[in-house]
Amino acid sequence: MRVVDPALLELRKQLLRMGSLAEAILEKALTAVWKHDRAAAREVQTDDLEIDRLDVAIDEAVLRVLATQAPVADDLRGVIAAKMIATDLERVGDLARNIAKGALRLAEHPEVAIPARLRTLADEVQRVLHRALDSFADGDAERAAEVLEEDDQVDADQDVVIRAAIQEIMSHPELTSQGVDFILIAKNLERVADHATNVAEDVILATQARNVKHAAKLRE
Amino acid sequence: MSPSGIGSAPFSTKITARDVNVFYGAKQALFDVNLDILKQQVTALIGPSGCGKSTFIRCVNRMNDVVPSCRVEGKITLDGEDVYREEIDPVQLRARVGMVFQKPNPFPKSIYENVAYGPRIHGLADSRGELDEIVTSSLSRAGLLAEVKDRLGDAGTSLSGGQQQRLCIARAIAVSPEVILMDEPCSALDPIATARIEALIGELRSSYTIVIVTHSMQQAARVSQRTAFFHLGRVVEVGETAQIFTDPHEPRTRDYITGRFG
Repeated sequence: MRVVDPALLELRKQLLRMGSLAEAILEKALTAVWKHDRAAAREVQTDDLEIDRLDVAIDEAVLRVLATQAPVADDLRGVIAAKMIATDLERVGDLARNIAKGALRLAEHPEVAIPARLRTLADEVQRVLHRALDSFADGDAERAAEVLEEDDQVDADQDVVIRAAIQEIMSHPELTSQGVDFILIAKNLERVADHATNVAEDVILATQARNVKHAAKLRE
Repeated sequence: MSPSGIGSAPFSTKITARDVNVFYGAKQALFDVNLDILKQQVTALIGPSGCGKSTFIRCVNRMNDVVPSCRVEGKITLDGEDVYREEIDPVQLRARVGMVFQKPNPFPKSIYENVAYGPRIHGLADSRGELDEIVTSSLSRAGLLAEVKDRLGDAGTSLSGGQQQRLCIARAIAVSPEVILMDEPCSALDPIATARIEALIGELRSSYTIVIVTHSMQQAARVSQRTAFFHLGRVVEVGETAQIFTDPHEPRTRDYITGRFG
């Protein structure tokens, strides 16, 4: 084992933990929405603190390994990717918190049926996040590339949810508050998928030394 | 990178090595080395001990001529001219291709005489005034003048290790070389002296072509624009330094620079 290896392994362990916490917190926030579960929504706020703590720990670990080990090649790319992935997962935690706040607001009003397309969007986003984290865990650039393909579908699903919610607000103005919360939840979910996409891009950078960020835009 | 390991870049080529094989007696030290050294660039040669880096640079200014058992095959050119052609005078060649060694090796003479020696034997100065000028400007370019200008008569060996190494660089510069070969020039120096030499290398690059052999990956990454990785007497990979240290294309290069070797 090289001197640098324990630090790299520790960084990886922290990221895997952060990833599973991010998935769990998103699941809990969505459950709070689906089940009008205020207790779950409140738990999300405290669960997010653990993600924040890990984010700070990873920052420190990254600084330490750069300063003391001067990593190069795949080690260096792995460390840089770890820093970026941590930032994205921390954001996923924040977005889950936003969703949980939406759940708390929804619970203040008479219960309305959750739009089926919102559930579909949530499933899709959770799947994307899971695949992105799997691609990180396995260092699998091919699976990461598949994640990138799925982002357009998430965007399209989000648009459908938003349009339907606007329609609903127009025909039932008394449900405006709930309609707006569905829109906000859809927006937050779409942002989660964006961060999952970033994670997948970082996996590709770490494993294949290819920077695919903004690839489509920059090609234009 | 081309499979031959020559590499390509927009800078013009100062030194080319083609199919270079070097033997010490029956033992072969270099195998089919193909490498271009670009003008006004710092090229770092990295690789494990005994991989042939020093052997290679010692071929460029024919330092290996003095090793009786050494035989060099293939072609090494300086500005297109074969340095192993019969008409080439190795002493003149070594004025064009200077060398700085691992351990500072000032002559047992004064600081002034250390620098004046080369210009004097090569007849580069017509008067004492001209020689003084060469000595002063060489010490200045080597970043040493301010520290020694009041004691040029002191022994070169009285200087600190880092100063001695800069004196050796001044001595190499004094004969107006085109290329400076550096064989682990900082390995005997502390971090401050090392930082001064590294900064100096950066300054000298605009005037000279520099080849540096180093065992410090971070030094190669800091000072060079191109890096060649040698292993078991062959050039495994050559490329822009930033590429080599972020995305080495050859697994052996990656294993070496990340310390996975062996």
